[in-house]
Amino acid sequence: MTGVATAKTRFGPALLGIGGLVAVLVLVEILIRAGAINRFIVPMPSEIGASFERVIVEEDVFGRFWQTMKEAFWAIVLITIVGVSTGVLLHRVTLLRRATETWVAALASAPTVLMYPLFLVIFGRSALTITMMGFVAGLAPVILKTIEGLSGTRRVLINVGRSLKLTETQLFWKILFPAALPNIFVGLRLGMIFALINVVGVEFLINFGGLGQLINELAERYDLAGTYAAISFVVLISVVFFMFTEKAERWLTPAN
Amino acid sequence: MADAGKLTVAAPKPWADPVTAVRIVIVLTILLTWELVARSGLLYRDVVPSLLAIGEAVVKLIGQPDYYWHLGVTAGEIGTALVIGGLSGLIVGIALGGNRLLARAYEPYLYYLGPTPKIIFFPVMIMWFGVGPGSKVAMGAISCFFPIALSTAAGMRQIDKVLIRVGKSFRANAWQMATKIYLPAMRHPVINGVRLGLGVAIIGTLLAETKLSNRGVGFLIIQAYSIFDMPRMYAMLIVLFVLAIGANALVARIGGLDTIRQA
Amino acid sequence: MSVTPLPASRVRTQDAILVVDDIVKRFETPDGILTAVDHVSLSVAPEEFLGVIGPSGCGKSTLFNVIGGLLDGYEGQVSVAGDRVSGPHPAIGMIFQEESTFPWRTVIDNVAFPLEIAGVPKAQRIERARHFVSLVGLDGFEKRYPNELSGGMRQRVSLARTLASEPKILLMDEPFASLDEQTRLLLGDKILQIQQQLKQTTLLITHNITEAVQLSDRIVVMTYRPGRVKRIVDINLPRPRTSEIVSSEAFGRYVAQIWSDLREEASRGLRDTESRVLQSGERRP
Repeated sequence: MTGVATAKTRFGPALLGIGGLVAVLVLVEILIRAGAINRFIVPMPSEIGASFERVIVEEDVFGRFWQTMKEAFWAIVLITIVGVSTGVLLHRVTLLRRATETWVAALASAPTVLMYPLFLVIFGRSALTITMMGFVAGLAPVILKTIEGLSGTRRVLINVGRSLKLTETQLFWKILFPAALPNIFVGLRLGMIFALINVVGVEFLINFGGLGQLINELAERYDLAGTYAAISFVVLISVVFFMFTEKAERWLTPAN
Repeated sequence: MADAGKLTVAAPKPWADPVTAVRIVIVLTILLTWELVARSGLLYRDVVPSLLAIGEAVVKLIGQPDYYWHLGVTAGEIGTALVIGGLSGLIVGIALGGNRLLARAYEPYLYYLGPTPKIIFFPVMIMWFGVGPGSKVAMGAISCFFPIALSTAAGMRQIDKVLIRVGKSFRANAWQMATKIYLPAMRHPVINGVRLGLGVAIIGTLLAETKLSNRGVGFLIIQAYSIFDMPRMYAMLIVLFVLAIGANALVARIGGLDTIRQA
Repeated sequence: MSVTPLPASRVRTQDAILVVDDIVKRFETPDGILTAVDHVSLSVAPEEFLGVIGPSGCGKSTLFNVIGGLLDGYEGQVSVAGDRVSGPHPAIGMIFQEESTFPWRTVIDNVAFPLEIAGVPKAQRIERARHFVSLVGLDGFEKRYPNELSGGMRQRVSLARTLASEPKILLMDEPFASLDEQTRLLLGDKILQIQQQLKQTTLLITHNITEAVQLSDRIVVMTYRPGRVKRIVDINLPRPRTSEIVSSEAFGRYVAQIWSDLREEASRGLRDTESRVLQSGERRP
């Protein structure tokens, strides 16, 4: 049976999804107006919507967004440089890899963000701390995926290289590395996402930086509607970032 | 799994094994460098305390009954968060995995909301659940809900359809289908989801404790920070990481034990 | 379209334990409405072994799912001992074509499954399950897991499991599809033996003529899509039977007769598939 999608099946579920969301918001609005939900705990969705403009203008949201992006950017740069080169190194030096691979895997699952008080002491309450926390969080997946990509190169491709008498270095840069790129991109994407999550999170926790700090500030000022608006804004950015990197990954790895 | 006829090779002695040797070298190098930096006074005094000081702090920490009380508080919060987030994740995952329309309508929300920094919801959790353990549990719960729901939904879809038909042909009711067929059939993805969930529940709960709490391991860490007791902070982070990695490995083991029986 | 008139070999409806009455099942596809089953009626007498044979695409599996209560939205009705079927019926036990043992349960726990669903207490159900494990010849394998068994053994577990629910009617959809020929013949033996021992009413759906003739008392031959009953053949081979019957002359004659009916349908099916492939330009899946 060929998968011919009718308009109903194409847009039906999406409409159901959005419809459900809208229905919930409307319900919440009604319940708050009726007094069933305390408006000092949950501001009305309409209020939250209204405060978007205020927050954007008064709180220099775009400036803060830029700040967050800068911190994330440097974290990602560091992750890429250190992560990929470490991955390459570990791949080349088998002994080193066998010795440290489980450690890297453990690092991937470790709650590194909990070291933020430590980083606060070492780097101070600054953008550097935030970047370093993002770096530490996103490093492990890049290393692991780089190793995986390099080790997973199909035997036959390596044999082609050997049969053409390529040197080890040529073999690496002309065959292994390009073959590993799809995996490396997957790792980079994971690393970027972890980095961004931790950057925003630490901004919130240490009350410094861009958007994360904004949420913290608004919360401390008891600006309820503003806090909710800022949180929604950050969620939106994070979702867009995730979708964007997903499209980029798919575009860059057609073979997958 | 017959291993009759398999050639057994004598296992290399542990200290002669090159991998172990490299590991020891690496660890020793790190420790040595650390100690040198600590004693050199290059960095601000206590930012890099000597290994002795850290060692003492670790010993002191695990000898303190007080610590275990805080550990218990945190463990309780994480446990409760896992139960709440895990159960709701399972239920939502089963619902989405079993119904294509629902999945296409609502699963994208879960999928795209998953990788967001949940800690930013903490102010809202405080408003809703107060400054006590409630808000911490809530943080842990919303953190682990997403990976568990998504793994469960995916797990549902990879269940061999014939097994579902077997259940239906024997007229199992919904509860029996869920407990005797769906859950066992997708135990691997679910366990993986729980592993991920545990990891993020630990993070979410602890971060919340560092932000606003007067008890728990997170609180202790921030307390050490505020009085600038660095050896103690290092000690607590070390113990915490060991426990977290251990818990992760434990859950993986529980899931992995099963695979011995499977093809 | 008129229905092919059926020969006299039909069971009187009053005597029948399973009555399939004028089933029509259609599906909506992007290419239009597809009639999978077109006015099919048949009946099965108590203790009878009825084989239903047809080419791929004749709606056999649809019929299987309709009778088993796993499909609805059809015209006509199915009744078991006068009781109308809507949803899986307690008196009907189904055995599926695919590998269907629960990989996470031991053999004995697999077989005890229907009893567990029905709420039979543990000791009792293990006892009863053991009986059926033994019946299919898997004594000693109770504590093993399906992945430790061969394909034929796993199908036996599925068989034991369904038998454990003691259905009035056993409904099988190409249960040997995934097995090799020798295993098929031997399992066929086992099924014959069990069926004769339990006096189990059975409806077997298959595309394998040898299998159908070996096991059945009567055979319903179906046409290619839309599936209709083409002919009903009485198989007057002696009972009790074993797999040795396949080398007898009478056996060969029955196979030839059914094949001549079937070949016509099978080649229609082949031409149909070929023309669809040509038209759509798709690669054959």
